[in-house]
Amino acid sequence: MKTWQRSLLVTLGLVAAFGTAAYAQTPSAPVAQFPYTGNRTAVWIVAQLHILFAAFILGAPIFVVISEWLGHRKQDPRYDRLAKEVTKVTVILYSMTALTGGLFIFVLLATYPQFTTWLINHFFLIFAVIYPLLFIAETIVLYLYFYTWDSWKGEQKARHIALGVLLNLIGTVTLFVIDGPTSFMNTPARAAEGLSLVEYIQTASLWDKIYNYSWMPLNLHRLVGNVTFGGFIAGLIAAYMYMGAATDEERSYYDWMGFVGNLIGVGALLFLPFMGYLLAFELCDYDASICPYMMADQLSMFFEMQGAMVGLIFLASNYYIWLSMKRIRGLEHIRMSLATLVLMVSIPPVFMLVWTLFPIPDLMALVVPAAYIAAFLLLARFTPWTVSSQTMVKVAFLMVIIGNAIWMTPHAFVATQALAPEDGSLSLPHGELALGSITLSFGDLALMPAKNAAAFTLVFVTVVNYILYNRAIRRGTIVWGKIDFVSQFVLIFLAFSAIWTMGLMGSVRSLVRKYFHTYNLFYDFTSESFTPTLSYAAWWITAITLGFYIVVSFAILVTLRATEAKAHAAERKPVPAGAK
Amino acid sequence: MAEQPSLLKSIIKKGLAGVVVGVILVVLAKALEFPPVFQTMFFIYAMLGAAVYVLLDAPAVKPVGGAKALIALIVFYAVISGVYIGGASLLPQYDPQDEKGKIEKLLKPKRAATEQGKAEELLARTQALAEKAEALMKRLQAAGVGGTGEAPGAGGANAATGPGAATGDMVAMGKQQWDLQECYNCHKLEGKGGKKRGPELDNIGSLMTPEQLRQKVLEPQSWMAEGFEKEYEKKKMPSKYRELMEDKEVDALVAFLSTLKNPSVNTPKPIQKK
Repeated sequence: MKTWQRSLLVTLGLVAAFGTAAYAQTPSAPVAQFPYTGNRTAVWIVAQLHILFAAFILGAPIFVVISEWLGHRKQDPRYDRLAKEVTKVTVILYSMTALTGGLFIFVLLATYPQFTTWLINHFFLIFAVIYPLLFIAETIVLYLYFYTWDSWKGEQKARHIALGVLLNLIGTVTLFVIDGPTSFMNTPARAAEGLSLVEYIQTASLWDKIYNYSWMPLNLHRLVGNVTFGGFIAGLIAAYMYMGAATDEERSYYDWMGFVGNLIGVGALLFLPFMGYLLAFELCDYDASICPYMMADQLSMFFEMQGAMVGLIFLASNYYIWLSMKRIRGLEHIRMSLATLVLMVSIPPVFMLVWTLFPIPDLMALVVPAAYIAAFLLLARFTPWTVSSQTMVKVAFLMVIIGNAIWMTPHAFVATQALAPEDGSLSLPHGELALGSITLSFGDLALMPAKNAAAFTLVFVTVVNYILYNRAIRRGTIVWGKIDFVSQFVLIFLAFSAIWTMGLMGSVRSLVRKYFHTYNLFYDFTSESFTPTLSYAAWWITAITLGFYIVVSFAILVTLRATEAKAHAAERKPVPAGAK
Repeated sequence: MAEQPSLLKSIIKKGLAGVVVGVILVVLAKALEFPPVFQTMFFIYAMLGAAVYVLLDAPAVKPVGGAKALIALIVFYAVISGVYIGGASLLPQYDPQDEKGKIEKLLKPKRAATEQGKAEELLARTQALAEKAEALMKRLQAAGVGGTGEAPGAGGANAATGPGAATGDMVAMGKQQWDLQECYNCHKLEGKGGKKRGPELDNIGSLMTPEQLRQKVLEPQSWMAEGFEKEYEKKKMPSKYRELMEDKEVDALVAFLSTLKNPSVNTPKPIQKK
């Protein structure tokens, strides 16, 4: 895609953003009706696509600039090439973000004109001034960053990296700004003393509306999520390129790129369950009735599916580490302390017990687990017993399955707990176990302490596997380009599953507003304001993910394969110096 | 090709091990009175474990490129899409019809209060009047030609004034509000609902007057249940009901709560805070 075409797309996006803010000032427009999908699903599709593109263009530059800096610092050209290739794809997807963003606002205005006008009026300064200005600034800096890549090298590299940092700063501010209205729709405010919520919102300042209960948790969740997403998409790019690589050199490079993308994706993924927990915690703190709606009633099976997806993602990422380790010569000599293995196996029951006794955010909920881990690490340091890396990895995979099984254990296998049969035929049994002053029951497997222990187990296992991997590459020899071909499908699977999970959890965040456009403030009177079935949601999430994949695949082929083909063509057919 | 038999051997060996572990888990789960659905889950986890161990020891796959790689990719996408849609569809599904009626009941008075709602109501009334006029015209026409037979739709629209919530049964309306506002999510009643977030309310009618109950619903911080200090401090009970409920809905809920006088249930003592 040429520069003028990209610029046209960005301009269209900006016109849409400005135009809709102006359009919102005109009185009631007729409501459009989308055939087949209905209005809500139409908005859902466009919004989700926009968020996916936006997530990539905000997440990718974070590790792009880190990669560029690493390349500069280590004087390793691979990092610089990785950064530049991902930036090329980012530039194409930036245009798609603008296009889908404009489309999103148009569809929203056409289908929900009253609400959209109301929301834009509440955040007029953001929609009409701040957001477009940030978008323009980001466009300029992104293009500047991309087009100065080759000219600002050597001594000027630091300046180029600084430009990348500026790009990220603008991107992060843009994310935080647009999260204001988004989080406001979930948690507008709590009614102030002596004022009704409606009265309070009418008098509240713009900052009061932005700085709502779920704003910062959503910012953090999306920031970390975007880095994860960017990492996995980099892995996807690498997998595609590896599959199409013609030389060993290319395979070697894209094998390495896939590993780095996965490392970044998994590194950020480790924080994601806790960021998600923080967001859910704030939503529940805002209104306790949101919690059962999410976890026990209409959306409970969405969380069951989330558990399955998280388990699969952790299984796949650990499997990729394993495939990476398998090609390291000398792996058989790597060993790990038996104490670490015992610690890993003991985490689910011990941490579940600790967090039942000291519920989060009690200080002891942090101190006791930290002391427990520290004690085992000391033991590992001073005891001679070790196990092989093979044994360690196999036990680690067992723990991923156990952790995931705990995560996925519900109170009852029913769509909503209110419909659970009284005979207990679908519920956990009542059996209890007395441990000193506390009594644990099977029902506790479905409570938050158990889920947290499961999440921690998945994270711990992944960290242990990476430690093993690091030891292996320090003591052994890694052969890039010789990885099992299956690993490329694992990278593709990881990207697909991460996007699918984003879609699932995005729909949960929107659905917790129940029959409101803005929770407790603006009712959704349309006939579509109900909770869809998980199956219906899954069909659309899959369709959106595939749609996104098609565009991303096309962007990769257009930018990287085409460039590579040109380069090879130039290499193969040298043109005589005098020829024109 | 030489590696194929070892993969097959591995599948058989680990598959068998998965079945054995799965059966042990099922027997154990049965002994501990886990329902069949959980037993099935345990078996699935055992087989998943076996599949993972097969993958861990599987021989390396040689690279493929070109059309073969493209076909492999398309098949792979089709498989994971199918697995995700299938997996999500296999889980219990919430029936939106259960919710639609409830939401309609909740939103009807709110919609009626809006400009659009008022316009819709006027339109509905106009339409009803037009239908009534048409029916009268038909009856008159029938009478004019000397016929004695009953006109179609005899009785007219007024005949359909059935009983319902508007008959003044405040307690029944209050019970409906209990369900619509989903009070059962936090408060146990008759042994049902509640997840320890709020007190059991079976005897609340003996402990609080209707005025006090009304105050608690509209201003949750005005009263605290004994033993629920933490929940009170965290403002667990939402203060949204004064915004979301109509006066008559609050009256109905209070009327219902006032009837709850079952001394055999230990409803915690309310403590006035404001």
